[in-house]
This record gives sequence, structure tokens and C-alpha cells, in this order.
Amino acid sequence: MIRKSKALAFAVAAAFLVVACGGTTSTSTGTVTFKGTKKVGYSGSLSGGAAIYGHAASQALKLAAQDINAKGGVNGYKIEMDILDDATQVQNAVDNTKQMILQDSVVAMMGPVTSAQCQATSPISKQNKIVYVSATCNSYQLTTEPDLINPYYVSVVPNTYMEGLAAANVVAKVGAKRIFIVSPKYIFGISETNAFVTGLKKAAPNATIVNDQATWYVPFPTNPRWDSTISAIQAAKPDLVYSNIFAGDEINFIKQAEAVDPEFFKKYPMTTLSSVDELNTLRDSFPLGMHLYMRAPFFALSNPTLDSFVTRYEAAYPGDFPSDWAVMDYDAFQVWATAANKAGSFDSDKVMQQIVGKSFPSLRGYSFTIRAGDQQANVGETIGDTVSSNGKYPFPVLANSTNLNGSDTIMSLTLMNELRDGKCEKGGDPKTTDFALCPSFGK
Amino acid sequence: MLFAVGGLTNAAYLFIVAAGLSLVFGALRVINMAHGSLYMIAAFVTVAVANQLGSAYGFWVGMVAAILITGAVGVLIEVVVLRRVYRAEHLVQLLGTYAVTLIVAGVVRRVFGASYRSTPAPDLLRASVSLGGYRYSVYSFFMIFAAVVIAAGVYALLYRTALGRNIRAAVSDPELLSASGVNVARLFTTVFVIGAALAALGGVIVAPSQAINSSIDTDVLVLAFAISVIGGLGSIVGSLVGSLIVGEVISFGLNNKYTNGFALAFVFLIMAGVLIVRPWGLFGKPEN
Repeated sequence: MIRKSKALAFAVAAAFLVVACGGTTSTSTGTVTFKGTKKVGYSGSLSGGAAIYGHAASQALKLAAQDINAKGGVNGYKIEMDILDDATQVQNAVDNTKQMILQDSVVAMMGPVTSAQCQATSPISKQNKIVYVSATCNSYQLTTEPDLINPYYVSVVPNTYMEGLAAANVVAKVGAKRIFIVSPKYIFGISETNAFVTGLKKAAPNATIVNDQATWYVPFPTNPRWDSTISAIQAAKPDLVYSNIFAGDEINFIKQAEAVDPEFFKKYPMTTLSSVDELNTLRDSFPLGMHLYMRAPFFALSNPTLDSFVTRYEAAYPGDFPSDWAVMDYDAFQVWATAANKAGSFDSDKVMQQIVGKSFPSLRGYSFTIRAGDQQANVGETIGDTVSSNGKYPFPVLANSTNLNGSDTIMSLTLMNELRDGKCEKGGDPKTTDFALCPSFGK
Repeated sequence: MLFAVGGLTNAAYLFIVAAGLSLVFGALRVINMAHGSLYMIAAFVTVAVANQLGSAYGFWVGMVAAILITGAVGVLIEVVVLRRVYRAEHLVQLLGTYAVTLIVAGVVRRVFGASYRSTPAPDLLRASVSLGGYRYSVYSFFMIFAAVVIAAGVYALLYRTALGRNIRAAVSDPELLSASGVNVARLFTTVFVIGAALAALGGVIVAPSQAINSSIDTDVLVLAFAISVIGGLGSIVGSLVGSLIVGEVISFGLNNKYTNGFALAFVFLIMAGVLIVRPWGLFGKPEN
């Protein structure tokens, strides 16, 4: 009798374990049974200055997990997103990453929003051998600085070198000669501006920069009032303003510049990094004729896969449009999930073998390859000028947009190795890095 | 002139916020960490109402709504939280009001989401003027004008009205004031609501000129504290001078190649210097 009771208790406990750790998911094609649940971590900026980006990314990641679970999950396991808010603070991102890896036992991480956060958290993924796919933070130093090189780091976003060259391409296209630079003073802004200046020397050698290098950068996060920079632009009278300020800073700058002079951006045209989020925040107030470079604007990359994603995203999150960050984070998740399924394992070394050198389909309408060396995908940048969408969307879109081929802007492996070997800096000081100092520059 | 106007605009909204913080500390001896939350609530209310009613008069209706709603939240905070910690140490007051900031931030995120909110300036003020070859936003001058009017209003309230006399008496000796028949509890609530209204005016005035999200509470609070410490907690004149120093240091500092990297740091260096030389601030009075 006692033996029977024990057996019954064991069976109940086993059933409980199956329900708790495994379970089933109903899909449109039937019911999927899982071996258990595995977590994928995302320390996102759900509040603070970059909240709009983290919010979009977290929504896309939840959708990606739903989609993969509907197809049977990864290696038979249901995938659950473990999402924690870092409030756009580096220390919170570090604490979250440690918690997710050490306590929540995540099997992979999606990279956070800012490069400063990635700079602080990528080494934790390296130390714990956790695959870390970045879709937003993108400073090239993450793959060239010796203390940051991480064999488990994968980037599916154009890095700052690629973006800087894309921006220089825009300036050359516009034909501007006198450029004013404004950039956030931290790893992302400095590296992207370095790359822009390098690209400018090649793409538009006659162009000059009109503000002193010491005034290119504004503190990040900065004071919400931009009067000082707006005044400096009026005093310098440039042909074009180049910026890589983003999120709240970009919105505040545009609002305040337009208040100073409704013709401000006609007098001083601007090329800037932007995303669907900034367009959708300012809507009709976003100036037309701005020369934007964007990472993944859904309206300029239309293809059946992306269009289907847009429909599902808008259905899942009514009132929201999938921003560039949503598109890229969805891709990031798919890269890891596809590779883990091919590896038949969650072991990071085995998963990385299925990532490095392999090609993956992207929502962006093409396949990209994660090259060996820095695990950077040859993803493109979209450039174009803002025009009215004529009521199709509540915000402007890009006219005459060009999707630059990532293979044309990706940093050469020679250059990457020169940066890694410290051949592009003065006296071994990484703060003095200048592409013009690289032996291969100009060749 | 070009950078001075920018500095004054910066100083204008910071003064309005810092004045409320300083007033509350001066009368109630409470360092109100939730002051930024009141500013944020008002900014969100203004944007919501202005976008709903349109740019002709939406902003003005939004201003009234924001002051009323923020004032009501102020009453709630004073009655529910502050009355229980007036006699406690400053640390307990800090923790109590900090808890309020976390609650408000959570509620605002729940109600308004993570996205930035934005509204245009009211039609009446959506223009720019040319002076000395450069253009300036009329809205910037409105911000400066509003700050001057508010400074004069607060000064008149404190030094030309019976309420102001009671507030100043409460600063000196609340027990003696109570013995003279004044309802000190009600007076404290009134002062806190005036402080909340000043935070609200700050939030209202920035709403058309910057993106609003749930982190603007802490952003403004840091600078408002710096201003209050420089000028002297409890001194309205100190808040005015402190905000002018901070506004102009940021404006000129960011555009000088030698100081660009340290413009914001200078603000805190000045604050540290004042704390060393005159811990009660430039215009404050030492606590007994």
C-alpha cells in the first residue's frame, strides 16, 4: 500500500515537473510539446533616455520567441525571453547581465541598447561563454579593442565604421563643402564621428569641418536644451550639419532648432542617424528634406517577409510601428535560434560554429553573412531624404532611398587587424585612434 | 548675445523648478525628491491635453489642467507621506519622497508608455524673431518672461501677503506660529501645493520645447538640486541667481573648445566650491 502511494506520489511529482518545466503550446497548426523551457536574456532600456529603442526591441524579441515556439522551439525546448530593464544605465545593464547568466541560466543574450552598455556587458558574456548577439549597440571598438574582443559576440547591426562611411556617402551625394559636427560624447558618438571624418576624406575631399574638434561632442546624456549648439550652428553658417545624436537628444534638437527658425533645416541641411521611432515621435513636425541614414526602416525595405512581420507586429502591439531596432532584434534572435537548432545544442561553442561564416536570411530582404574574424554581419544602411508619406503613415518616409550594400562598407580585415594591433594610434593610446594613421588607409 | 539668450532660456525653466524645491525646503525643511515627479506629471498632462485640443488653445487648457492635477497630487503626497515624516531625520524624508518618485514613474510608464511624447508650441508663440543677424525662438523669450513673472509673483507672495508672512514665520518657528492660532498643518499643505504648482509650471513650459518621457523627472531634479545648493536652499533669490549661473555656464561652456568637455562638470564644481566656502549657499541662511 505504502509502495503504491509512493509510486502515485512519484507519478504526480513527475507530471508536475513536466507541466512546470516542459508543457505544450497551441499553435495555428496544432499543439507543440516541449522538453522544457530555456531562457534567452535581454537587458533592455525600458525606461530612461533610450527607452523607445529598448521598448521596440523587447516587443520584437517577444514576437520572435512566440514565432520560434510556434515552430517547435529550439532543440525541442520552449524559448522564454528573460527581459530586465536597465533604465539606460550602464551599471544596471551589468547587474542584469550577471543576474540573467548566473541566476536565470539564460542560454544566450541579445545585446543591450547603447555601446557603453555593450562595452560593459560583452566581457561578462565572454567570461561565461554565452552567445551575445548585438542588434543595436554598434561601436566598432567592441570588435577591435583587445580587452573587448569576445569570440561569442555577434553583430547584426551595421557598426559605427560602416555607418560613418554611409554618412560620408550622403555628404558626398549632397555636395556639401562646410560641415558642422555634433555628436554624443561617448564610445558610440566618438567612433562613428571618427569613421565619418575618415570617410569624408575619401568621399568628399574638398569638404571642411567648420567647428573646432573640441566642440564636436556634447555630453551624453545631455541637457535637454540645445540652444547652445543651435546658436553655434547659426554663427558657423555651415552647408550641412552632420549628427549622430539620437532618441530624445535628436527630437529635442530638431524641435528647438525649428522653433528658432522654421527654415532652420533648409538653411542648414542636416544628415543624421535616425529611426522610425524619431520619425513617429515628431510625426508631421519632423522636417522634410533631412538627409537620413537609417539602419532598418521597414517602409524602405519592403519585402514579403518584412511585410508579414510588420502586419504581425502591428497586430500584437496596436498603435506601434516596428522600428529599426525591432527589425534588427528580430533578426538577432533568429540568427541564434537557427544556429542553435542546427547545432542541436545550447552549447555556445557549438552554436558559434553554426554562426561564424554562415549566412542568414534577414527581414531586411537579403541574406547576410557573419564573417570570421569579428563576427560582423555585412548588413546595409539605408540612406535617403525625408518626404511626406502622403497619409500612408503618420510620419515622413524616405524618398529616393538607397540601401547601401554592407559588403561595400564593412571594415576590411586588414584594417581591423591594424586597429587590434594598435597601429592606428599615437604612442599606444587608444584614445588617439585615427584611421588616417592605419598603414592600409588610402590603399 | 547669441549664447546669452540660450543660457537665459536654460535658466528660465530651471529657475521655475528650483524655486518650488527651494520654497518647500525653506518652509517645511523637507528635501523633496518627488519634485521632479510633479514636474513630469505636469509635462505629460500638458502634452496629452494640447495634442487632444489642438495647437490654438490646447496648450493653455493643458496648463490649467496640469496645475490642477499636479496640485491635487501634491496634496496627496503632503497628507499621506510628508505629514508622517516632518519630524523625522532628513534621510527618512529623502527615502519617503524617493519612494514617491518610483511609484509615480511606474504609474506614468503604465499610463503613457515608454515612447517620447511631443506637442508643438501654441500658435500664439510659434514664431521666431531676428536680432543682430541671428534668429531666436519667440517661445524662448516667453520662457524667460514667464520665469521673470513667476519670480516676481513668488517674491510678492512671500513678502507682500499675509500668507507669505505666515510662511516666513513658519520657517523661523512653526510652534510659535501654531500657538498664535495659525493652522500650521494647513499652511504646510498650502506651501507644498505652491511648490507643486511651481514644479507643474516648469513641466508645462518645457512640454512644447522638448521630448517628454518618464526619465525627465530625474534629469531636471539633478540640476534643480545643484541650483538650490548654489543659491541656498530656501532662498528664492538664491534660486534665481543659481539658475542664471547654471544656465549660462552650460550655454557658454558647451561652445568653448577649452570647456566643452567639462560644461556640466563645471556646474557641480561650482556647487562643490559653494558647499566648501559657504555650505548654506550664496543666499541661504545657516540652519540652527
